[in-house]
Formats: sequence, structure tokens, C-alpha cells
Amino acid sequence: MGSDAIEKTSGRLQQKPPVALTPETESRVQAIGEAEILVGIPSYNNVDTIAHVVRAVSAGLAKYFPGRRAVLVNSDGGSSDGTPEAVSRAVVDFSALLVSDHQSPLQKIITPYHGIPGKGSAFRTVFEVARRVKAKACAVVDSDLRSITPEWIELLLRPILDEKYDYVAPYYLRHKYDGTITNSIVYPLTRALYGQRIRQPIGGDFGFSGRLTEHYLDQHVWESDVARFGIDIWMTTEAIASGARVCQSFLGAKIHNPKDPSADLAAMLMQVLGAVFALMEEHDKVWLDRKVSEPVKLFGFQYEVGVEPVNVNVERMIAAFQLGLEDLVPIWEQILGRGIVAELLPLRAASPAEFRIADDLWVRIVYEAAVAYRARVMPREHLLKALTPLYLGRTATFVLETQGLTTAEAEGRIEQLCLVYESRKSYLVERWHGQPQA
Amino acid sequence: MKDFFDKALLAPLEHLGGQVLAVLPNVLAMAIIVGVGFVAAWALGHAVERLLRVMRLDELCNRLGINAALARGGVKADPSRIVGRTTYWMIVSFAVIAGLGALNLQPINRFAQSFLAYIPHVLTGGVILVAGYLLSNFISQGVLIAAVNAGLPPARLIANMSRWGVQLFALAMALEELGIAQSVVIVGFGITFGGVVFATCLAFGLGAKDLAKDYLERTLSNRPRDRAPDDLRHL
Repeated sequence: MGSDAIEKTSGRLQQKPPVALTPETESRVQAIGEAEILVGIPSYNNVDTIAHVVRAVSAGLAKYFPGRRAVLVNSDGGSSDGTPEAVSRAVVDFSALLVSDHQSPLQKIITPYHGIPGKGSAFRTVFEVARRVKAKACAVVDSDLRSITPEWIELLLRPILDEKYDYVAPYYLRHKYDGTITNSIVYPLTRALYGQRIRQPIGGDFGFSGRLTEHYLDQHVWESDVARFGIDIWMTTEAIASGARVCQSFLGAKIHNPKDPSADLAAMLMQVLGAVFALMEEHDKVWLDRKVSEPVKLFGFQYEVGVEPVNVNVERMIAAFQLGLEDLVPIWEQILGRGIVAELLPLRAASPAEFRIADDLWVRIVYEAAVAYRARVMPREHLLKALTPLYLGRTATFVLETQGLTTAEAEGRIEQLCLVYESRKSYLVERWHGQPQA
Repeated sequence: MKDFFDKALLAPLEHLGGQVLAVLPNVLAMAIIVGVGFVAAWALGHAVERLLRVMRLDELCNRLGINAALARGGVKADPSRIVGRTTYWMIVSFAVIAGLGALNLQPINRFAQSFLAYIPHVLTGGVILVAGYLLSNFISQGVLIAAVNAGLPPARLIANMSRWGVQLFALAMALEELGIAQSVVIVGFGITFGGVVFATCLAFGLGAKDLAKDYLERTLSNRPRDRAPDDLRHL
């Protein structure tokens, strides 16, 4: 397993031509030559936060990897607010950090990326630079982070360099109602499918080996939706499916620039679920035979910290679900089958006190949606967006069930859901093979 | 007497016989063309039907909602059967027209020419109707889902309006293509479509004036929504 497995998988693929870099970047890469470590920061109009991220990365590299040649790559999507200038201006006062100033100087590459606009294309340029400089260990971090510290860099890179892992997923401390798509769908589904308990498969900040970088670059996905969105779950799933050695690092709380939480949930759900379901199709030979999941090594010192409070309006979520039940039943029946929709119908007039979508029912909904996505029972965009009220209904259930629980206790509730996903996997396998609903 | 017999009786008969002999090859040709046409229609109709079944056209139409629409319209045959039978009758029609043309009669020739010239319009009109139907289903489904996700209670009404709007548009285009009362169709469509838009605006203005007022106030004064805040981060 591990690195050898990645190389074998890569070997089956046709070697792809190198990704085009701008002439300035090409000459910069040639001037740098080789580097052991590379940290990538994709950006688009992040002038408020990116300087802090660059300083944290610089300090982390200086503090924890003083003797190693390192490169920082800012892959920018055409920012108009001066983000690249902020990157080039950001400097760290090493003396204040009690770091010796006899460091190997950090090389910066600030480059625009080519291709379809999106985080995936930004990452592709980072991967290409990593390949050119023959980086042994790489990390990528979001450019809107406010809570990143130098320790993140060590935690994302050290397992690659010293422990020979290929992929480091982040492990954040989050509020119990933060990351509800991750908690109710992506984490339990990824765990049940691929057998690896990676708690934040779409975390956004990762570490990975040079060998895995080569593997990523050799995949034929860079003209697809992966280039636009879905790169996070793609990297995680591809790492597991290729047989790479994966681990997690505890990074503490993740605080990033506030985004409008109501910013088209349906589009967000479509992007995430579309990526997960597409990967299920691609890797079904990998997951169909996996029966159990196993824990994934977690590095870092774990601690409790206060997380930002999250306001939730349960009534509104239930109303959104009930509106769906009013109008989308024929569409849901096409996706999920009449049996499952019939089980939802009693919730049509349920009050918050009575409102519940049970774990088992929810798991079957997700599995049936995956099967329907594969069978293309309707345009895929419609299928995925039609799941939004169901997701809100399930989220309302989770909130109602965990009101008054601590974050740790709510985590136990998520663990229960994961076990249902795993115990019901045989149902998915049967349906995947085309057997009719029970 | 013999002269009278030759002129009064045999001559017309000879003339008639000559005419019959002149037409007989054409009639024979018509019979052959029509007969071969029927056989070819039967063979091609069945071949097309079987080919479409192999290509799983019925499953595709089922996903697109065409089977359900046919059932709603009282059509029990599946799409493969319908296309097969349509092929059959088209070939039969061509064979009959070609057969009649073999008789070389002026009125029939004129009819055949105008019929053949009209066929492309019929086919184009049919394609417009089918495409309009499929497009209307796609759009109304998308509108319904988007309206539900936006929390609009009259979601189904909005979706149905979009469906009928597209279908009405397709029907008007198809009728125009067929040349049926072109000016009436265009004027009728214009009046109907304009009326629907006007009625919608009126209904929104009267029924949702508070909503519009609230929206404008919030937009212009940056006032937050009245409902309780919800800052769930889903990812």
C-alpha cells in the first residue's frame, strides 16, 4: 500500500503534458531549481486576509523546517483588489517569534492560473510548480483563514516528511452546527464507502506528498467540474482510492472570513453532492467490496476551545422541507421511489416537537439519490437541487435532537449516523447492482 | 351494313381497347409500386421499431416524461411502437402517391406535388412541437425546484405557467410553419402572451404588494430581514 500503490495507479495512465505556466513563472521556477517543501495558497480577492496567511506560512516554515528549501506559491484567479501585491509585501518579524534568522530564505512565486476559473485550476498550477521543483512535501491552505498559525504548517507537512504519509487531512474543532453537509452526508458517506474515517474530507487545508501530486496531475479531470469546485473532496477521495497512506492533523478551530450562509444553498449542495456522487461512479470498484471502516491516525495535540456560536432557525428549515413535500413529491418519487416518499408524507403537518427524519430513512434517501444520479433518472442538476428541502429537513432533525448537547455529545450523535450508513451499505450495493427497492 | 358495324361499334371499342391498353401498364406500375411500398413499409416499420427498442428509446422517453404524457393523452402504445407505425404510414403514403403518379393523371400529379412540397413543413412543425414539449418539461421542472428552494409558496403555479408559456410558444411556431392562419396565430399568441404577463404583473402587484414593499425597503435602506437570523455554515 501507500506510495507504491500510487505509483502503480499513475503508471496505468498516459503521462499528461506539463501544465502551461506564464513565462515569468517559468523563469522563476527555473531560477529556484529544486525545493523540498511547497505551500500553495489559492486566492481570489482576498486582500483582507491573505497577508496573515502568508505570514503564518512563512513563520511555520522558518520555525519548524529551518534547514529545508521551501517555496510559497500564490495561485491567483485574477484578483482586482491587490491580493498578489499583499502576498509580495507580507513579511514576518522572525525575531519576535524567537526564530533564528539563519534560515533558508523562503521563495515566493505569485502567479495567475490558466484554465477554467475555480479553486481546482488554482491547485493544478500549484501541483505543476510542485512537480517542477520536485517538492517532497506540499501543503495547501485557504487564503481567507483567520485562525491559521505556524503550527498548521508543521502539522500538515511533518507527517509527510517524517512519517511517510501521502495525504494529511485537516481535523478542526467546529461548532456542532458548523459543517452540516459534511456531518450529515460527506463524512459518513465517504467513511462508509471507502472505509477510512476522515472527519473533514472537504476541509480545504491539506498536506500531500510529491508522489501524490504527480498522481493528481495525471488524472483527466482538469477540464471537468473538479477544476471549478469539488477539488477538496476529489483530492481526499482520490488519495484513498489510489491506496495512498492517509492521516489527519488536529488544527484547532477554523475561522475564516464570513460568507453569506444563505448564499444559494441549493447550488452549494449540488456542487458537493455532484462531486461525491461522480466519484462514487468512478471508484465503484474500490468501494463496492469494502465492508468496514477503520480509524485514521490523528496527529497533533487535541484541546477544547470555544467556537463561534451558530444561530439556527429550525422552523424555517422545517417550513422549507414541508414546502418541498407539498410540491416536489412527483420528483422525489422519481429519485427515491414511492416507498421512501411515503415514509416522509406523515411529516407534512408535523410540528417541530414531532418533526424527525430518522437516521435509517435519511441514509436510504442519500443512497437512493446516488443510485438515481448514476442512472440519470432526470437532469442531474435538477436531481441534486431537488434534494435541498430534504437536506434541510434532516438538518432540522439533527438540531432538534442535539439541542442542549455539548459539541462532544453531538459528535456522538454523528457517530451513530455513521454506523447506520455503514450497516446499510449492503442496501446501496444491492441497489447499485440494479436490484429493485425492497 | 358492314361499314356501319365497323364505324359504329368496332371503332369505339377499338378506341376504348386502345385507351385501356395505353393505361394498363400505368395501372400495373401503380399496383406494383403500391404493393412494394406496403411490403417495404411493413419491413422498415418493424425494423425501426426493433432498432429503437434495442437502443432503449422507451426508457429514455420514460425518463423525459414522454411516456407519462402519452398515457395522460390516452395513447397506450410506447414511443418505439409509435415511431415504427409512423414510419410505416409515411412509407405507405409515399408509395400511394408515387403509385398514383404512375397513372400520369394531371389532377393527381398536381396533388402529389403539393403534398410532397408540404411534407417538410409537417416534419418541421412536428419537430418544433416535440422539442417545445421536451423543453417545457425541462424548464418547468427546473423552475419548480428553484421556486421551492427559494421558499415561494406558489411554486407549482409558477412552474405550470412556465410550462404552458413554452408550449404555447411552440404551438404558435408550429402553426406558423404549417401556414395555418398565420396572422391569426401571431396576433393570438401576442395577445395571449401579453395578457398572461400583464395578469401576472397585476396579480403580483395586488397580491404581493407588501412583499414588494418590504423587498424595496430592505434593498434601499439596507434593513435586515425581519425573520430570525440563521448563520449555519453547511460545508
